[in-house]
Amino acid sequence: MILDWLLPVLISAALVLALAGAIKRVNLWRAGQPDSVNLIAGLMAMPRRYLVDLHHVVERDKYMSNTHVATAGGFVLSMLLIVLVHLFGLESRWLAWALLASSVLMFTGAVFVFRRRLNPPSRLSKGPWMRLPKSLLMFSASFFILTLPAAGILPEDFGGWVLALILLVGVAWGLSELVFGMTWGGPMKHAFAGALHLAFHRRPERFNGGRSTGLKPVDLQARVLGVEKPTDFKWNQLLGFDACVQCGKCEAMCPAFAAGQPLNPKKLIQDMVIGLAGGSDAKFAGSPYPGVELGHAVGGPGQTITEGLVNPDTLWSCTTCRACVEECPMMIEHVDAIVDMRRFLTMEKGNTPNKGAEVLENLIATDNPNGFDPGGRMNWAADQNLPLMSDVKEADVLFWVSDGAFDMRSQRILRAFVKVLKAAGVDFAVLGDEERDSGDVARRLGDDATFQSLAKRNIAVLNKYRFKRIVTTDPHAFHVLKNEYGDLGGHYEVLHHTTFINELVQLGRLQLDTFKGGTVTYHDPCYLGRYNGEYDSPRDLLKALGIELAEMERSGFRSRCCGGGGGAPITDIPGEHRIADMRMEDARAVGAELVAVGCQQCTAMLEGVVEPRPQIKDIAELVSEALIEGAPAARAAVAEEVLS
Amino acid sequence: MSDLIRRDPRAEWIARNRLHPLHAAMTAPAGEVRGPSGLLRKNPHGVGFIGPNGIKRIDRSGGSNAAAGGRRGAAKSAQAVELPLHVVEAPDFYVVTVLDLVGGRLGSHDKDVLGQAHKLVNGLEGNGAVLAVVFGECKEEGFGLAGVDRLLHLEGSEYEGYSPEQRLAALVEVERRFTPRYWLFPDSINGGNELGCRLAARLGERPATQAWQVDTQQTLCRGAGGSSDITRATPRLLLLAEECAEPVDERRHEALAVELDSIAPSLVRIRDCGQVAVDPNAIPLAEAEFILSAGNGIRDWDQFHQAAELLGATEGASRVVVDDGFMPRPRQVGASGTWVTARVYLAVGISGAIQHMQGIGQCDKVVAINLDAGCDMVKRADLSVIGDSQAVLAHLIELAREYRHGAAENAA
Amino acid sequence: MTSDLNIVALVSIGQHPKSGRARRAEQDARAVELGMRLAGDNVQVLHAGDAAEETLRQYAGMGLKSLRVLQQSPQADAVVALGDYLAEHRADVVLTGVRAESGESSGMAPYLLAEKLGWPLVTRIADIVSIENGEAQILQALPRGQRRAIQVRLPFVASVDMAAQVARQSAFGPGRRAELESLPWVETPDSERAQFKEAPARKRPKRLKKVKATTAAERFKAATAKSQGTGGRIIKDQPPTEQAQAIFDLLLEEGVLR
Repeated sequence: MILDWLLPVLISAALVLALAGAIKRVNLWRAGQPDSVNLIAGLMAMPRRYLVDLHHVVERDKYMSNTHVATAGGFVLSMLLIVLVHLFGLESRWLAWALLASSVLMFTGAVFVFRRRLNPPSRLSKGPWMRLPKSLLMFSASFFILTLPAAGILPEDFGGWVLALILLVGVAWGLSELVFGMTWGGPMKHAFAGALHLAFHRRPERFNGGRSTGLKPVDLQARVLGVEKPTDFKWNQLLGFDACVQCGKCEAMCPAFAAGQPLNPKKLIQDMVIGLAGGSDAKFAGSPYPGVELGHAVGGPGQTITEGLVNPDTLWSCTTCRACVEECPMMIEHVDAIVDMRRFLTMEKGNTPNKGAEVLENLIATDNPNGFDPGGRMNWAADQNLPLMSDVKEADVLFWVSDGAFDMRSQRILRAFVKVLKAAGVDFAVLGDEERDSGDVARRLGDDATFQSLAKRNIAVLNKYRFKRIVTTDPHAFHVLKNEYGDLGGHYEVLHHTTFINELVQLGRLQLDTFKGGTVTYHDPCYLGRYNGEYDSPRDLLKALGIELAEMERSGFRSRCCGGGGGAPITDIPGEHRIADMRMEDARAVGAELVAVGCQQCTAMLEGVVEPRPQIKDIAELVSEALIEGAPAARAAVAEEVLS
Repeated sequence: MSDLIRRDPRAEWIARNRLHPLHAAMTAPAGEVRGPSGLLRKNPHGVGFIGPNGIKRIDRSGGSNAAAGGRRGAAKSAQAVELPLHVVEAPDFYVVTVLDLVGGRLGSHDKDVLGQAHKLVNGLEGNGAVLAVVFGECKEEGFGLAGVDRLLHLEGSEYEGYSPEQRLAALVEVERRFTPRYWLFPDSINGGNELGCRLAARLGERPATQAWQVDTQQTLCRGAGGSSDITRATPRLLLLAEECAEPVDERRHEALAVELDSIAPSLVRIRDCGQVAVDPNAIPLAEAEFILSAGNGIRDWDQFHQAAELLGATEGASRVVVDDGFMPRPRQVGASGTWVTARVYLAVGISGAIQHMQGIGQCDKVVAINLDAGCDMVKRADLSVIGDSQAVLAHLIELAREYRHGAAENAA
Repeated sequence: MTSDLNIVALVSIGQHPKSGRARRAEQDARAVELGMRLAGDNVQVLHAGDAAEETLRQYAGMGLKSLRVLQQSPQADAVVALGDYLAEHRADVVLTGVRAESGESSGMAPYLLAEKLGWPLVTRIADIVSIENGEAQILQALPRGQRRAIQVRLPFVASVDMAAQVARQSAFGPGRRAELESLPWVETPDSERAQFKEAPARKRPKRLKKVKATTAAERFKAATAKSQGTGGRIIKDQPPTEQAQAIFDLLLEEGVLR
């Protein structure tokens, strides 16, 4: 029978082709910049990352999770057994039966994939992806039937040459899609690239429940600053782009996409794939960037990305809210890529749109984004009598005031927090005029030179004094101080004010009245929640105020951005809606009369929504309003055993 | 009018009550009365007024005047107080001021410069005269009151428009003829700065610029873009900052015209091709003189643009309408947009968020059209109209159209 | 058309008005911008001072390949050096700012240079519209956004006003890579300047409205009079025609209708 000799040939041909494709693909990635990755450790950790960490993300969608386990598990098992049974011709009933079972498993999974594809949501890519379930069915069914004789269920020469021919077609189709299609750029590429991507991930800290959200510093002596061409990415970033399954979870979560700004994280990653392999986006089968027609983007490994492949507006639409990264089952780092490309635009091209250039110039000249007199940083606290670090040299808590000091609305939050600190008898001090912008905005706008300059000077100031922890009301400064100063030599224990106040309440150092007022909802700031995993303290605090939260549909790690991050209000790329308006709709949908926030940027953005709308208050304000000024003696007593 | 003497109890009461708001108006000094022979007459009965208890009171402060009580004295020839005349007959030296004369009239900066000139004259020995040099069209009549002893008015087609070369030639001639002790210019963007610098470069003088405290020995001037003070010996050529000295107000000066014999026409290498018609919307918002600004209350955008065009106003907008895409971002007024300095800011349907109010802090006159009489914009505005903006704008358009039409007819 | 023009932009070290920190001067940067738009990166940017000054890189970051620095000590008179250099090196257009942001900031540099070179000087320009047949069409900035058209023959000196196109963003990378070409140059000490005493600006007293009161009543009134601007006129419940008329009258009175 022809199959007896043709099948091993087909399988080995497919494997050889797959190997050739893999070499070709690997070479595409190797065009990227070197990055220090422990290859062996990565490969060793890969199965666990795949089976545990990735599964956690996929499991948020139970249907897809089970489907994927069945299909992928079935396929991997089947493939191993196929090699043993049909390539090496091991004659074992047990193996044959196992192969039957695994192909049944795979077939079942494929049926569910098929069903999902019957009426796919808009976030899913179509095109070749619509073919995939059929390929899966074909592969599993063909090998099931082919294995039946080996399992002794059917006679060897069952079905004659007609069936053999049909099976041959099925096997050829299945193998080409699932085996060498994996390395030649078909939908199954995600399995090959994805596995390696997990192994050589640029942020291995993200696995095992860890968190790594700080941007990586730029080497300011480099030949080109930021990413101009696809080959300027690190090689493992390129690998990461290739791992995309085009599931569109990122697209569904992206606030800029929803607002009709020309950004779609999925399309962006696919554009990067076009960049690394060369070609155009004419065959892209998902949603385009809002308002941008498909088919005009052309790129190649050596071509400038922003000239032809991706419009700079796409990059400037991002609020760096990390909703896409949080959602991505392949753990692709969209935000890193976007900021890398912004760095090129800002530091090499000098092309930060709208107010960007002005803000950066101000940061360079005055250490704050609005060009205020750096000597006026403490004007807000003229009546507060705050201890200055330069006077006291040492304090338990260093209160990082942030640029909110210059903004009249934010000053109310700062005052409220100072009131709370004083009521709890905390030993704290501020840097006063020695403080500078944390560098958050400069960094997100791609100006890492200015970020590093600000950070280094801030670190130099911080290192002059002795304190146990830094507390700030600004989640952006919080994130930068906590996660991004480390690369420049500044390691501190940094707390967000909600965490700190919550701690004070737990210690019984604050007496709080119950909140009187209507329905309250809580908006998670991206840089507090997704960036730093602090979802509980603000909620605990609100509970301590006697507030029963009406949670918005998108809250916690799925919280929708206010539109104020990543310098988005500065670069101000037009869309159909404003992100802040959409977020306010979320709040209205749960009937909120008050939106509690923990970020001055969110406060500013949400208060920018035209009234009538729910009130916006920072948690510090809510707490300070509910303070019952306790007996000073009692407080002083507790003050002794304060804060480790 | 009857000659009967009638008492006006209300007027008398106001005349008695020095804190009454109308007191000053009712008791305006009657001025001097001259008899038929031209002699100065005093009416003893006119002095003082009858107090509430019927007793005659005399207010020696001179603020009250009896004439107000009874309407006597038909001969009320109100006359401005004549200030003493300061005469310089044969000046020992000259201090020359070159004035801007914006719009053909003395501005406050010009007057300050003249004040400074006299301060310098007084600080020097001898009999000095202040010579004012003015170019082009002149409508001013009060040169004497502003402190001009000698006036050199240079007129003619060669001085019209932008003619720095010709003006410089004239000033060089003045230098030759009068050898002034000091040259004073207003350090202004209306020409003073430019002429001063040109002359300084030509004469090889090192001028003090943005000088704000000047005497014959020392000059204090702003340096480093206004962030430092430079103290230096007073040079011969000074460019004076605004409010450098008090203007002259206690005497009159002669303002005698002087003339230059002849000024060689200079080689004109810079040709003035006239002012360019600027589309109001092409003027940067920060510089615009008249801004029509739109807020959330605007429904009919065509009408708004039409109004701006007919009124010749530069368009502005609040943040909300920019966010909503009705206006481009560069039109946004406010702390996060553009800080404006308009002389008239007409805010239509803007309630006035704090950032917006910050942005219009430097506007002279704010006019608000709004439905809500309690909004912040109305509180800030010099004139507020409470009502439907669409209707008001429609009528404004009508008025502007008539005005333009009328102007066109007059021109024809 | 204009690519073979020799355009020189003179730059100085600026100073931020709020922080006092050195920066690229706003007007000088506009001069460079104007030069770059006329001649691309053929524009020659010239500074007299210290080539080690990092702030110069902010100009270079606009996309200049190099920047020429006449090496001068802070005590030297930069205008003399610049004048000598320009007399030796042919230029068609010399662009400067109107006033420096630091130092004496008298704004004399363009005048002295023009005088020394014997070239016409056009002050406060907003744009150079075209340069053809040795003649330049220039737009001069007037107060309140008005413009005047001016024609001048090459070569000339022009000072660039703040109304000119805003300078492009300075990018870190090109700024770091640009060559700062340092030329040793003869120094002329500025002896007069050495006599100046410089101190941080004192606040100038605002001129009060002086009341020439001859009587107690007038003085009393001047002291107790309500300050102006507390609450304007509010027109309510009147037909829109009258409301519009009131606004229109104000506009006429203010003379903003042209």
